[in-house]
Amino acid sequence: MPERDRSVENVLRHVLSDDVRAQPQSACPDAETIAAWHEGTLRREEAAIIERHVADCAHCRALMAAFIQATPSIPAVESMWRRWHLGWAVPLATAATAAALWIAMPRSAPSPELEVREEKAASVAQVPPPASPASPTAPAAASEPAVPQNAAALAKTAALLREEERQRAGESQVTREQLADQQATAAAGAALSARIEADKRASAANAAPRPFAVAARLAASPPLEIVAPGGSARWRIVGGQQVEWSTSAATEWGPTAIESPDVLTAGASPSPSVCWIVGRRGAVYVTTDGARFMRVPFPEMADLVNVTANDDRTATVSSADGRSWNTTDQGKSWSLGR
Amino acid sequence: MPPWRLPDALVARLHDKAHAARWDVPASGFASALERSAAKVFATQPDPRELERFLVSLHLEDLALACACAAGHEGAWEHFVREHRPLLYKAADAIDPTGGSRDLADSLYGELFGLIETSGARRSLFEYFHGRSSLGTWLRAVLAQRHVDRVRRSRRFEPLPIEEVPALAQSGEPHQPHAVRYIQLMRRVVTAAVARLAPKDRLRLGYYYAQDLTLAQIGRALNEHEATVSRNLARARREIRRDVERQLRDEEHMTASEIDECFAAVVNDVGTLDVKDLLGGSRKDSPDERSKERAEGASA
Repeated sequence: MPERDRSVENVLRHVLSDDVRAQPQSACPDAETIAAWHEGTLRREEAAIIERHVADCAHCRALMAAFIQATPSIPAVESMWRRWHLGWAVPLATAATAAALWIAMPRSAPSPELEVREEKAASVAQVPPPASPASPTAPAAASEPAVPQNAAALAKTAALLREEERQRAGESQVTREQLADQQATAAAGAALSARIEADKRASAANAAPRPFAVAARLAASPPLEIVAPGGSARWRIVGGQQVEWSTSAATEWGPTAIESPDVLTAGASPSPSVCWIVGRRGAVYVTTDGARFMRVPFPEMADLVNVTANDDRTATVSSADGRSWNTTDQGKSWSLGR
Repeated sequence: MPPWRLPDALVARLHDKAHAARWDVPASGFASALERSAAKVFATQPDPRELERFLVSLHLEDLALACACAAGHEGAWEHFVREHRPLLYKAADAIDPTGGSRDLADSLYGELFGLIETSGARRSLFEYFHGRSSLGTWLRAVLAQRHVDRVRRSRRFEPLPIEEVPALAQSGEPHQPHAVRYIQLMRRVVTAAVARLAPKDRLRLGYYYAQDLTLAQIGRALNEHEATVSRNLARARREIRRDVERQLRDEEHMTASEIDECFAAVVNDVGTLDVKDLLGGSRKDSPDERSKERAEGASA
């Protein structure tokens, strides 16, 4: 009903029209509260009150508009699966996966032994990949028929790329070194294939729990501890939403500034005073003094499940659906990784 | 100031963490600043753990810098001007690209330095900073506040719109007998539908329709991607339309054709008009005509 929607839009322009003559009310928040609200450091209840007030107060809305104009922009990245032109790919991929599983699955029920083996494979999926196919950590993945094919294809591609490089460098003769290189490339390709298979299993294992189940489990689980290099400082996520800090080898814990409205899932500490914490709905926090966490702007409401950090400015965060983002300026800008 | 005192050990720890000694801020002065901050949030004496959690959450280094600047510490001022002046100018230029807000940024310096005296005492604007946000974000918020206040002052004497309605007369269609009633009805039911939305949806609509912010700017305000903003706006509009249809049908007991007429009455919008325009009056909504009218009003 586009015509009716247009009518609604026309009326909205009038009923919501801004009246800058509107006087500030006594309940209007001060500049500092507005600033803290924007930074996401207000307590949840207070933030909800401010949001409700600004939504209905023409004066504060105008103030926020000017404030936003004055705020430096951060390039945002939209979820790939939310882009309109890829929207069709989700049901298609689901259907294709279902069909492939139906074809690939053995008709008889899998033996308990196989199930245990697959679980083990999933549990070791996050371990760094083996250096060669002969490595003892690879057999579960290597036993799959797809692996040798992938390995061969990858090795071939890698070898071709190397050959191209050499040709550019003026090397055209096949030498003993090249043969050794090709062998090493083939080995690396096989290892890469094993890792791809392991990653697939890990993704399947990670995708299984529902978000609410994860939240409940986090709340009930023992605190997740993050230890700084050398162990001189530690942080722990308590109840999924609070973070405590210790500089006394975990004998005494003190509160920190985080009171996240979202479930916190992971953290990383590259040095005793720096800690990055991530959580659901794009929650990213960093502290540079151990105790005071700042909310770092993040372009998406993604459920973040992992973070690695080099220092207080450089970090990589990963979401539950396997995407990752990098920042080198403490979250002022993010670039989407794989 | 709160009726309670902060423990000395805690003040010393926070004073140290804030590197307040760098600006020669005494522990007692810093304690007063911390107590003022706490008093802003806690009406009664809070649980010590909760109080500590709040205090460590403050931007302590910024608070110490603000204390030192308020006290007129030369080194602190130099640091503040070096670090924040360019950002403040940048923010002023972003608010008003013609440079109109630069003088606001300059006048802020006067207030921060405490040039304005209140009942004989020099009072620095820094005293209103309690460390709940970063100093830079606070400065931008203060600048935005000054800008809105100035716009409000400058428009105070503009005539208030008596009853603005979408311009039906401009569409060239013959006046419908129920047009005025339908337009007013649509305003009422849309207003009611908007009031039933979640605050964030109202805020999003307000930013878009009242403040004319771009999707990217709204996204920045609400921490959403602009595509998400767009989707949420479309969803809110759909909800409003369904609510309006429901109200007209169930509460106003209108027939399908009457509902159609209601929507049709507001489908052509070319600007804001007074009700009298609907009834054949002259239109005065172009900026030139409005300014001419204001000038005439002023000279009279």
